[in-house]
Amino acid sequence: MSEEPQQQREPEGGVRTEPQLSFLGSRIFAAAILAFGLFVLFGTFQISGREGFSPSGPRFFPLIVAVGLLVFGALFLLSTTMRRDRYLGKKAAAEGAATHWPTTGLVVAILVVYAILLDSLGYIVATAFLFPAEAYVLGSRGRRSLLRNFAIGVVLGTVVFFSFTELLGVRLPDGLLDPLL
Amino acid sequence: MEVLGDLAGGFATALRPEYLLLAALGVTLGTLVGVLPGIGPALTVALLLPLTNEFDPTGAFVMFAGIYYGGKYGGSTTSILLNTPGEAASVATTFEGFPMARSGRGGAALATAAIGSFVAGTISTIAITFLAPLVAQVALLFQPADYFALMVLAFVSVVALVGRSLVRGMVSLFLGLFMGLVGIDVLSGQARFVFGVPQLLNGLDIVVVAVGLFAVGEVLYVASRMRRNPEEIVAVRDRVGMNREEWRRSWKPWLRGTAIGFPFGTLPAGGAETPTFLSYNVEKQLSSHKDEFGKGAIEGVAGPEAANNAAFSGVLIPLLTLGIPTSATAAILLAAFQIFNLQPGPLLFEDSPGLVWALIASLYIGNVMLLILNLPLIRIWVKLLEIPRPLLYSGILVFATLGVYSLSNSAVDLLVMYAIGILGFFMRRYDFPVGPVILGVILGPLMEAQFRRALSISQGDPLIFVTRPLSLAILLLAFVALLLPYLPALISRLRGERPESGRRVFGEGEED
Repeated sequence: MSEEPQQQREPEGGVRTEPQLSFLGSRIFAAAILAFGLFVLFGTFQISGREGFSPSGPRFFPLIVAVGLLVFGALFLLSTTMRRDRYLGKKAAAEGAATHWPTTGLVVAILVVYAILLDSLGYIVATAFLFPAEAYVLGSRGRRSLLRNFAIGVVLGTVVFFSFTELLGVRLPDGLLDPLL
Repeated sequence: MEVLGDLAGGFATALRPEYLLLAALGVTLGTLVGVLPGIGPALTVALLLPLTNEFDPTGAFVMFAGIYYGGKYGGSTTSILLNTPGEAASVATTFEGFPMARSGRGGAALATAAIGSFVAGTISTIAITFLAPLVAQVALLFQPADYFALMVLAFVSVVALVGRSLVRGMVSLFLGLFMGLVGIDVLSGQARFVFGVPQLLNGLDIVVVAVGLFAVGEVLYVASRMRRNPEEIVAVRDRVGMNREEWRRSWKPWLRGTAIGFPFGTLPAGGAETPTFLSYNVEKQLSSHKDEFGKGAIEGVAGPEAANNAAFSGVLIPLLTLGIPTSATAAILLAAFQIFNLQPGPLLFEDSPGLVWALIASLYIGNVMLLILNLPLIRIWVKLLEIPRPLLYSGILVFATLGVYSLSNSAVDLLVMYAIGILGFFMRRYDFPVGPVILGVILGPLMEAQFRRALSISQGDPLIFVTRPLSLAILLLAFVALLLPYLPALISRLRGERPESGRRVFGEGEED
C-alpha cells in the first residue's frame, strides 16, 4: 500500500498550522457500511434453515457478521462525527485535495465495458483496445504514444492469448477472430 | 536425526532439474512482479496463482516457494529506490533505504537488503526445518474448539496490533468475513448471499478478492492522484555491494532482525509489519551512528529487511502445521494448497511428507537463487521502475483481469473483482487496513466450520470453548492482545498522568 503522502510530514521546527480536516467522505462511507450491514442482516433472514438461529446452523455466522458490521460501522460513524478522529480527517482532506475523480471513474468504466465485451470481441481484440484506452486515461496521450500503446496492446493480447491457450492450457475467448484461430 | 533424513529426501526431489527450473522460474517471476511499484508479495502470489494449475502439486509448490520469496525481495528494491513500499511490512525499509539511495548509496542499500534477506531467510528456514515437525506433533492434540480459539486469536491480533484504528480494522475484518460467507454452506447445503447468481454458488475465490483489493484498488488509487504526485525514481549510481565498513555495520542488525522477526512471524501477530518497526527502533537505539538515522543509516535497512524476511518465513510454521495463515500473503498460499486439495495442518506432514519436505528444501534453494539473481541482475529490475506510469498501471490492469478471468472464464468474476477494487479504493482513502479482509475471506469459512464442529462434538453446549483449558487459554490470550495497545495509556492514567495518546500503534512510523 503506497499511501504515505509526502505532504504529511510537517516541516521540523516550523509553525504548526491547523491542518484542514474533512469528514464528509468518511461519513458517506460509514453510512454505506451501515446500509451494507442492514443488507446483510436482511439477507440472513433469507437463508432458509429449519433451525432458526441455532449456533450450529447456517444462519448464525451471517447474523454475527451483520451485527459486527452494524456495530463497528456505527462506531466508525461516531469517529467521524461526535468523537472526531483527527488523523482520519487530515488524511481525508489531503486525499480529497489530490483526487481527480474523472480519471478514476473512466478507469472503472473502461474495465466494466471490457468485462462485458470480452466474450464477443475475443481476448486479443478486447485487450488491444483495453491497454491503450487505460493508458490514455492514465495520461499517456500524444499521437505517437497512442500508436505505440495500441501496438503494445496488440502484442500483449496476442502473446498472452497464445501462451495461455497453447502452453498453459487455459481457454481464452476467440471472439471476432474465431474464423482465423 | 529423522528430520535431516526427511530434509535430504526433500532436497533429492527439489534438486531434480525440472524442479530447479520451476524454482528459478518462480523466483524470477516473483521478483519481476514484486518489483513493480504498488504490488506487494500478496498480490504477486495471487496474480501468479493461476499459472501453477498446469503443474503437479510438488512442482507447483516448489515454484510457489520461489514466488513467495521473490515477491518479497522485489518489494524491497521498490521501497529503496522509489519510496513506495509494496506493503506495510516494507514501510520501515523506506525510512533509511530511500535517503541512502538519494545520497548515491543505493547499491549498498540494495546489497544489505538482499544479503540480509538471504541471511534471515536461511536462518529462518533452518528454524522451520526443526520446529515445524515438532509443532505439527503438538497440533495433533488440537480439537475443533482449540482451532476456533486460535483463529479468534489470529483475527484479534491482526486487527488490534496493526493499523491505526481498532474500529476500522474490525470493519475490514467483518467485510472479509462477509465475503467468505457467499456461496453454498458446506455443512447444511444452504445457499447464502448468492442473490440468484449461479456463478456465486461456489463462493468468492480468494484470487478475485485479493486481485480486486490490491491490484484494482491500487490502480484506482494511483489513478485518482496521477496528476498530483510525480514520483521520484532514484538511479543506482554506485556498485551494488558493500565495503568493509558497511559489512561491519550490517551483520549485527541482520541477526537481531532475524531474532525479532522470526518469532513474530510464527505467532498470529499480524505477520511482518510489527517486527520491522520494532527492529528499526531497536537499531536506532543501539546504533553508534544515531545522527545518521533519517539520512540513510545502513543499520536501518539491514535490520528491518532481515526482520521482514524472517517473519515472512516464520509465517509458514502456523500455515503448514495448523493450516492457519497469519498474513494476507499466507492466506493466499493457503488458497493455493486448497486448489490442489491439500489441507495444511498437522496431518500434512504425515500424509504428504514428500511434498512438504520438497517445499522446505526449495525454500533453501530459493534463497540462494535470489541472492545470485539479485546482486548482479538488480540493474535489470531497476529498469522496470522506469516504465512510464500510465503503461505500467494499464499493464497491471490487463494482467489482473487476465488472472481472474482465467480462473473460470467468467465475466461475473471480473465484475465482482472490479466492485471489490472500488471498495479497496475507498478503504485506502479512509485508512482501512486491507489485510484483515483477506484473512476474513479465507479464515472465516474455516472458523465457522470449526465452530460448528466443536458444537456438534459437545452436543450443542457452547461452554466447550471455555471448559477446554487450551481453548480457554488461547481465548484469554486473544483478549490480552485486544487490550495490549491500550495498556501504556491505561497504566499512565492509573498513575494519574495524562496519557499522550489513547492507543499505542505498533504498525506505523513514529514520526507522523
